[in-house]
Amino acid sequence: MNIEVKNISKSYDDLKVIIDFNMCFSSNRIHCFFGPSGCGKTTLANILTGVISADSGHVIGKNNKKISYIFQEDRLLPWATVKENILFVLDSFHNKSEAQLLADKYLSMVDLLKFKNHYPHQLSGGMKQRVSIARAFAYGGEILVMDEPFKGLHLGLKKNLMDYIIDNWNHESSFLFFITHDIDEAIYMADDIYIFNGPPLKLKRRVTIDTSREDRRNNKKLETYKKIILEDN
Amino acid sequence: MKNSITKNKKQYFKNISIFIFWILVWQSLHLIIGRDIYVPSPFSVLIKLKELLFVPRFWLSVIYSIYRVLVGLLLSIILGIIVAIISSLNKYFHDLIKPFMTIIKSTPVLSFIIIALIWFSSSNVPIFICFLMCFPIIWTNVVEGINQVDVKLLEMAKIYKVKRINILKKIYISSVLPYFTAACITCLGLAWKVGVAAEVLSHPQNSIGSHLYSAKVYLDSTELFAWTLVVILLSLLFEIIFAKIIYKITNKRFSKS
Ligand SMILES: Nc1ncnc2c1ncn2[C@@H]1O[C@H](COP(=O)(O)OP(=O)(O)O)[C@@H](O)[C@H]1O
Ligand SMILES: [Mg+2]
Repeated sequence: MNIEVKNISKSYDDLKVIIDFNMCFSSNRIHCFFGPSGCGKTTLANILTGVISADSGHVIGKNNKKISYIFQEDRLLPWATVKENILFVLDSFHNKSEAQLLADKYLSMVDLLKFKNHYPHQLSGGMKQRVSIARAFAYGGEILVMDEPFKGLHLGLKKNLMDYIIDNWNHESSFLFFITHDIDEAIYMADDIYIFNGPPLKLKRRVTIDTSREDRRNNKKLETYKKIILEDN
Repeated sequence: MKNSITKNKKQYFKNISIFIFWILVWQSLHLIIGRDIYVPSPFSVLIKLKELLFVPRFWLSVIYSIYRVLVGLLLSIILGIIVAIISSLNKYFHDLIKPFMTIIKSTPVLSFIIIALIWFSSSNVPIFICFLMCFPIIWTNVVEGINQVDVKLLEMAKIYKVKRINILKKIYISSVLPYFTAACITCLGLAWKVGVAAEVLSHPQNSIGSHLYSAKVYLDSTELFAWTLVVILLSLLFEIIFAKIIYKITNKRFSKS
């Protein structure tokens, strides 16, 4: 199964962010968008998922899949508690008690169970980001988009979350898009790294990481990839 | 806990001192000017007010005035919200309605009262005036509130396929509520001012305004002050009750899990 963008274009006023752009992503892989800030990664992900619509062109293969989106900003309801924020996206798909269980489960995964009755303004940036992560996982989309999801998180928790994602997302029919400009995150998580520049958005290079997850966890062979990618920039 | 009690006590004490200060200023003015008709003493006003409390017509007037102000307010709130929602859904309607609101806002209230005297029976004039003056305020604030709804939250809700009713409750209403509350608080004060002004000119049977008018006719400043005090107290009372209600609503929403 593939998701494909065909001939998409998008501009904001005078700024042409994406011009006649084509790309194809297969399921069962972790796709990593890598590139300098402002080059159009978020815009591409937004068009892929339908958060915004392109000025022209099509997205094919998305069908009616459930989408979990960890936005670049936390996008939490400021007047709702941490837990209510998670329940907010579960209402349409689960009954009350299921939703409660799911919310608690994923809040404890991101280590925030103690803060479930806090409001977003009482949390640090990293904590809000974790709520957003818990919301995406509790929802359980077949397409998971993560736009710089680990900013503001300390290394230990970040590693735990990355391992959790790698181990737990359902490979068969799922798509995972991971946007970052942290090269270590990219090499640790990705199957394919797309190195972009722009605007307008251009695919400069695609690097496929063949090292097994096990080796990556033991930090093997990653330096070689790092060199390749850094040379390219 | 203990700290907050002493803090409350301090606050209480401060408020009492401020109150006494202004009563003293009032009394001094009364003494300096020396004529009851210009500035009656606060004590004679209080005594007058106490006398009024035992007159049945006082209560009848107060109740009818409250009734008029409340009906005017409720009409403005209900219609203000409805028209604001339509305006937010349709830009042409918004642009069409906007000059009308601007004109209402900048027209002297007396012009409206005089024209309303021609249109309506005396008891309905204050209702109409309350409505007319508050309506644009409610409209403007609710429209502004709806405009300020965070598009990013709406996008998030759409991606997560949140039901429309929940989007309405948890995003739209929650965002608009502070704007709506602010508008209501402004209107509560304004409604009393313009409502009583309309009563003074339309003098319906039972109304605070009619009493103000006759106090003026008989040059009874003490009574004038006493009735004015009644209006101020009623306006404050309304504000306190409204604040309590809003607090209850928002608190209930915030505390349920
Ligand atoms: N809503 C918007 N209005 C105007 N310009 C925008 C908007 N969103 C993004 N842009 C511009 O489009 C370009 C690409 O943005 P974005 O996709 O967010 O970049 P990235 O995610 O790669 O950092 C940037 O130059 C940004 O300023
Ligand atoms: Mg971005």
